[in-house]
Amino acid sequence: MKILEANAGALTNFEVLDFLRAKGASKDPTRVIAKVMQCEYKVYDYLVNTAASVQTRENINEFVTSAKQHDLAKAEVLNIINIRPAAEVEIFPILENCEDRFPDDEVSEIVELVKKTLPSPVTMTPEEITKSDKETSTLKEGKGNEINEDQNEGAEQMDTS
Amino acid sequence: MFYLSKIEHKLPLPPPRLVLPIREAIHMELEKLFLDKVIANLGLCISVYDIRSIDGGFIFPGDGAPTYTVVFNLIMFRPFVGEIITARLLSSDADGLRLTLGFFDDIYVPTHHLPHPNRFVEAVQKKSKKGIWYWKFNDQEYPIQDTDVIKFRVQNVSYPPIPVEQPKESKPFAPMLVTGSLDHDGLGPVSWWFEEEVEDE
Repeated sequence: MKILEANAGALTNFEVLDFLRAKGASKDPTRVIAKVMQCEYKVYDYLVNTAASVQTRENINEFVTSAKQHDLAKAEVLNIINIRPAAEVEIFPILENCEDRFPDDEVSEIVELVKKTLPSPVTMTPEEITKSDKETSTLKEGKGNEINEDQNEGAEQMDTS
Repeated sequence: MFYLSKIEHKLPLPPPRLVLPIREAIHMELEKLFLDKVIANLGLCISVYDIRSIDGGFIFPGDGAPTYTVVFNLIMFRPFVGEIITARLLSSDADGLRLTLGFFDDIYVPTHHLPHPNRFVEAVQKKSKKGIWYWKFNDQEYPIQDTDVIKFRVQNVSYPPIPVEQPKESKPFAPMLVTGSLDHDGLGPVSWWFEEEVEDE
């Protein structure tokens, strides 16, 4: 084995999820029909529970172009896309030397930009986690819908292949 | 978090695979060889992204299989230092926390990277978890429990060399170790910070 290029490009969580979905991974409980290995399913299971599950290519392109006006490093942009910080306290650890580099206004501007361009994840918002005790019933309904959607997706892919 | 790595490999293709189209056969063989394995300094292989070129097909004397030179891209899981990742709690004991991503379990948060002042309470009943860590803040104690999604910052990624002899009763060898830190504003269980916001509002 020879390593030609250790780093041939970084991928966002969304791109990996998109790749696995294209391969046929879905929430379908049987999990034998698609040509997806068990370890790939583990990655898929992790990624569908992150912000990447609702992002689209357009969202991310839009965010990357509009983030250019702020002086962000590539790794920081990547990290913001993966985490989707919806509050200033969440973005604070992502940006290196945040206090020195960015005035408070700019930080809130970036947060606003994130909120505007990247869709909020349905399953993972802290709102639902804290409320989950009270509203378990509604949450279950929501999850049920999602599974159905995912199955539909899987079915569509099956037809095309 | 995820990267592409371009790799060239001399791959002997076992004869039973030869009934398949060559690309498919090689793809399957690469998956068998690399998936879910750690390559030192490259990270954990998640998936075969694409095959760039297939050359050769030479059969060495005395060998029953053609050997191809294949150039391909792998999707690698390789966190960079300073990255923020969401994880879940796997176990917590007096030495610190162990976090899991589902596909990767060797993430350790040592005690000196926990938010301080902190306090460790040993659990009596539960055998699987040896205790719970608490963060003391404004006279309130916030627990680190496995119900929450935990954000951590990558402090270090190391690839320990494969030991020649494993000492008895040691924990299983991990080819890739990630050291994480929770000691920063905005890190730790997600609910800590959400509750704060509600208080602010």
